[in-house]
Amino acid sequence: MLERLKYLRVLAWCGPVFLVVFIVFWGLMGHNIPPFQPDVPAKVIGDYFRSDANLIRLGMSMAMSFTVLYFLWGLAIGKVIEYGIEKDNNILSTCAVWGAGLTVVPIMVSCVFWLAGAYRPEALDDSILQLLYDTAWLLIDMGYMVTTVQMVAMGVAFLKDRRAVPLVPKWLAWYGIWVGFSFVAEVFMPFFKSGIFARSGTLNFWVEFFLWFFWIVFVTTYLFSSIKRLEAEARGATEHAHTPAAGVGKAVGASA
Amino acid sequence: MHRPDDHPHASASFTGQRKLAGDEGVWFFISADITLFALLFLLFMVERGKAPALFEQSRQALDPRLGVLNTLILLTSSWLVALAVHSARLGQRAAVSRYLTLGMLVGAGFAVSKIVEYWHKIAAGITLLSNDFFMFYFALTGLHFLHFVVGMMVLAVCLAKSRSDDLDDRYVIWIESSACYWHMVDLLWLVLFPMLYLLHTP
Repeated sequence: MLERLKYLRVLAWCGPVFLVVFIVFWGLMGHNIPPFQPDVPAKVIGDYFRSDANLIRLGMSMAMSFTVLYFLWGLAIGKVIEYGIEKDNNILSTCAVWGAGLTVVPIMVSCVFWLAGAYRPEALDDSILQLLYDTAWLLIDMGYMVTTVQMVAMGVAFLKDRRAVPLVPKWLAWYGIWVGFSFVAEVFMPFFKSGIFARSGTLNFWVEFFLWFFWIVFVTTYLFSSIKRLEAEARGATEHAHTPAAGVGKAVGASA
Repeated sequence: MHRPDDHPHASASFTGQRKLAGDEGVWFFISADITLFALLFLLFMVERGKAPALFEQSRQALDPRLGVLNTLILLTSSWLVALAVHSARLGQRAAVSRYLTLGMLVGAGFAVSKIVEYWHKIAAGITLLSNDFFMFYFALTGLHFLHFVVGMMVLAVCLAKSRSDDLDDRYVIWIESSACYWHMVDLLWLVLFPMLYLLHTP
C-alpha cells in the first residue's frame, strides 16, 4: 500500500507550480490577466504583438512547457480518490484524471495561437493578429467543459468518502461542483465584445478564473494532508497485519 | 400538525440533533450560488444606473403577467415539495411520491411559460444582443432556467429513490437537500421577477 503512494507528493507539487507558471508566464507576460477587451481596435492588438513579441514568445513557450503539470496534479488527485475512497468502481477517479488531462489541451493549443502571432508579427496584418488573439481566447474559454468534468467528478468522489473526518471536507467538494457548473456562463462569451460576459468581463474573466485559481490552492492543501493520512492508514494496516494476534488469526484462518 | 416522532415510521434523524435541514455541504453550494447571483444582480443595478431610460423602455417590453404566473408556479411547486419532505420524515411513501410528482408537474409549467416567453421575444426580434437590458434578461433568466432544469432532475431522482429505497435517515437528508435547492430556485426568481419586470424608473 505504501509503495503505491510513493510519487504522489511530487505530483501534488505540480499543481502549485502550474498555477505560478500559468499566472506569471501565460497571464502577466502574455497580457492575459486581464486580456484585451474584445472591442479594442485591431491596431491595438497588432501593435502589442509587434512591440512585445519576445515577451509573448517567452511567456507562451514557458506556459506550453509547464501546462502538463496540471495533468500530473490531477493524476495525484485521481490516485488519492482511487486508493482512499473508491473500492470496486474507479469511474470517478478516471473522469477526474481525464478531465485534468484534457484541460491541458485547450491551454496548450491556445498558446500556439499566441506564439504564431508573435513569431513574425511584422509580416502580418492587424486583423490577422486580432484573429489569432480571439481564436486563442475562444478556445481557452469554450473548452471549459473538460475542466467541469474534472471538478464535478472530484467533488462527487470526495462526497462519497465515508470517514468520520473525510480526506477532503464537504464544503470543498461542493465548492468544486459549484465552480464547475458556474463555468457554464462561458457560453455567453462568444456573443459579447464588452460587458460582464465578454472574455475580459467581470463574470467570465475575473470571477470564473479566480474561482478556479482558488480551487487549485484549496485542493492542493487538502491533497497533501490526504496523502499523509493515506500513508498513516497504510502503515497502520501493515502494523496490524504483523501483530502476533493478527498472525495467529491468519494462520488459523488459513488452516481452516 | 403531526410531530414526526409520533409516527412509528418517522425517521430517526429528525428526532436527533440536526439543526440544519439537509446536508451541510449542500448549504455551502446554495450559499455560493446565491452569492454569485447577488453579484450579477448588483452588476445589473450598476448598468441600470448608467442607462435608466433604456432599461425602463426595455422593461416595458416584458409581460409582468407571465412573471406573476411563473412566481405562482414556482411557489406552488415549492410548497408541494415541502409537503413531500414532511411526508418523508413521517415515512409515508405514497404521499412522498404523490407530492413530488405533483411538484414536478406544476414546476414543468415554468418551463412551458419560459419557452413561450422566449419565443415571443425572439419572434419580435429581441435577443440578448439587442441591448444591455436584454443581455441581462436573457443571461439571468437563462442561468436561472438552467438551475430550474437541474432542480427538476434532482426531484426526479428523489422520486425514483422514494420508490426503490428505504425512507430512512439517508433518504430524508437527500430529499431535504433537494428541497432546499428547489427553494433556492424559487428564491432567486423572487428577486429576478421584481428586478426585471417591475422595477421602474420614475
